[in-house]
Amino acid sequence: MEGPVDQATRTDSISDFTAIQPAASRRSLLTRLEPYLYLLPAVLIFTAFMALPVIGTIAISLTDWDGVALSSADFVGFDNYVDAFTTAAFWNALKNNVVLIPFFVLLPALLGLVPAVLVHQMRLRGARFFQAGLFLPYIMPGVLIGVVWRWILNPVFGPVNASLKAVGFNPPSWLGDFTWALPTVGLIGAWAVYGFCYVLFVAGIQKIPKELYEAARLDGAGLWEEVKVVTLPGLRREMSVVLSVNLILALRAFDVIKATTDGGPGTETEVLALYMINTAFNANRVGYGTAIAVLLAILTLVLSLLVLRLFRENDD
Amino acid sequence: MIRRLVVYVLLSIGVVVAVVPFLVTILASLKTSVELVQGVLSLPEEPQWENYRRAWVDGNFARFFVNSLLVVFGVLIPSIVFSCMAGYAFARYRFAAKSTIFIYLLLGLVVPLQALVIPLFYLMREIGLLDSLWALILPQIAMSMSFGTLLMREAFSGVPREIVEAAVLDGAGSWRVLWEVMFPLARPFVGTLALMFFIWTWNEFLLPLVVNIDPAYQTLPVGLLYFQQRWTADIPVIAAGATIIFIPLTLIFLIFQRQMIEGLTQGAIKG
Repeated sequence: MEGPVDQATRTDSISDFTAIQPAASRRSLLTRLEPYLYLLPAVLIFTAFMALPVIGTIAISLTDWDGVALSSADFVGFDNYVDAFTTAAFWNALKNNVVLIPFFVLLPALLGLVPAVLVHQMRLRGARFFQAGLFLPYIMPGVLIGVVWRWILNPVFGPVNASLKAVGFNPPSWLGDFTWALPTVGLIGAWAVYGFCYVLFVAGIQKIPKELYEAARLDGAGLWEEVKVVTLPGLRREMSVVLSVNLILALRAFDVIKATTDGGPGTETEVLALYMINTAFNANRVGYGTAIAVLLAILTLVLSLLVLRLFRENDD
Repeated sequence: MIRRLVVYVLLSIGVVVAVVPFLVTILASLKTSVELVQGVLSLPEEPQWENYRRAWVDGNFARFFVNSLLVVFGVLIPSIVFSCMAGYAFARYRFAAKSTIFIYLLLGLVVPLQALVIPLFYLMREIGLLDSLWALILPQIAMSMSFGTLLMREAFSGVPREIVEAAVLDGAGSWRVLWEVMFPLARPFVGTLALMFFIWTWNEFLLPLVVNIDPAYQTLPVGLLYFQQRWTADIPVIAAGATIIFIPLTLIFLIFQRQMIEGLTQGAIKG
C-alpha cells in the first residue's frame, strides 16, 4: 500500500505512449492535446464541485454572512476565527473530539493488534475465517450503526440495560447520561473499526519476511522478543495507516453521533462537525460555520501528517 | 493447545461482538413491541412482516431505496469512465503540466467533505439543483476523482508496453487502446474501484443531509434518521428499516468479500 505522497513523488518510469506512435515525429496539435482531453472531464468536475467549494469555504469564512443573498456578506477578515477561539462552545466541541481520540484510535488499534499478533505467533489457521465477521461493521453506514446501538442501549427497551438490571445493576441511560454519553459514543466508534484494524495488521504480518523470524530464533529470541524485534517494527506502515485513518475518523466524527445523541445531552457530545453544521444552518451564521470547517480541515491535515511523519522518521 | 484454544475463543468473542448487534436488530424487526421487552433472544410468536410493510410504505423506504440506487449508478458509471480516462493520461502520456495536474487531483484525498459541504449547499442553490438527485451525484463524482485517478494510473502503468505497441501497430487509436486493450486488462482494478465507489456513495450521509431538505430526494442513510425521529418508541419498525439497509450491504459484502476488504484497507488512506 502506498500513500498518495509516495505516488506523486515517485519518478516517472512509465513508457511514453505517444513516442511509439508511427507519426511521432510529426505530432499534430491534436496529438499534443490528447492527454489534456483525457483529463478534461475529471479536472472539470473536480474543479467545479470540489476545488471551488473549498475556495468558497475559505472565502466565506472571512465574511459575516447569513446565507440569504450573496450581496449581504460583509468582509470581516479573521473575526470569525477570533470569535471561535473565544467561544466556549467551540472549545467544548474541540474537547469532545479530543476525548474521542483514545476511543477511536488507540482502543481499536490495540483490539486489532493483539489478536493479530497472537494468531501469527501461534500459527493458528483460519485467521481469514474470522475476518469477514470482524470486518462487517466497518462497511456499514454510520447512521445504521448509530440507530442499531441506540436501541440496544435504550434504557427501556434495550437488551443491555435489561441484562444489567437482571443481574442486579442499576445502569445509567448511557447515551442520555451526562457522564456516560461521550465515552459510550467513543466505544461505539471503537466497535465499528477494531475489525478493520485486525484485518490490516494480519495482512501486514503476512508481508514480514520469514527469514527475519528465523534469524531472531537463531539468536535465541523468545516469543515475546520475536514480537518486539520483528513483528512490531515490521508493522510500522500498517500502524501509521491505522492511526492516521482512525484519527481522521475521530476528528470528522459526525454520522454516528448525529444518529445516537445529536450532540446531547446538552452539548456533551457536540463535536466540531456537528457544531459547524448547527452554526451554519440552524443559527444562520454561515461565515462562522465555514471558519470552523477550515479549522477542522487544518487540524485533520496537521495531525495526520504528524502521525505519518512520526512513523516515517524511524524508517531508515 | 490450551493457549491456542484461548486465542480462538477470544477471536470468536470478537466476531460475536461485531455481528450480534445486527442479528439482534433483525430479530427485533420481526417482533411486536410487547415481545421486544420479553427478552432479546426470544423468538417472536409469529414474524411481524407488518413492520416491514410500515417501513417500506408508510416510512417511504421504497423511495429512499430507489433514490439510493439511482444515485449509486449515477455516480458509479461516470466516475469509472472519468477515472479511467484520467489514469490513462497519467500512465501513458508525457506532457507539460503532468505533475501539477496530478498533485492538484490528489489534493482531494486530504480534503474532508466537511471543508466544502457548506458552500456546496449554496452552489447547488445558485444553479437550481437543491433538492434533486443531481445535488448528490455531481459532488460525489468529484469526490471520487482523486482515488479513481490514482488507482487507474497504477493499473494502466502495469500493462506491459509490448501489448500497447502491438495494438498501435495494428492501427488502434489511443481511444481504442484505452477501452479495448487496457480496460479489459485492468478489470480487477476496475472491480475494486466500483466496489469502493459503491460503498462510499451508498453510505454517504452528510452530503444528502445538507443539500437536500425535501425527503423525496433523500437516500437510505438520511431516510433511516427520519425514521428514528418519527417512530422514536416503535423500535420494531426502526429495526425493520435498519434491516432493509443491512441485508443488501451484507450480501454484497459476502459476495465480494476479498476485493472489498482489499480495496477498503488500501483505500483507507482516503479516509
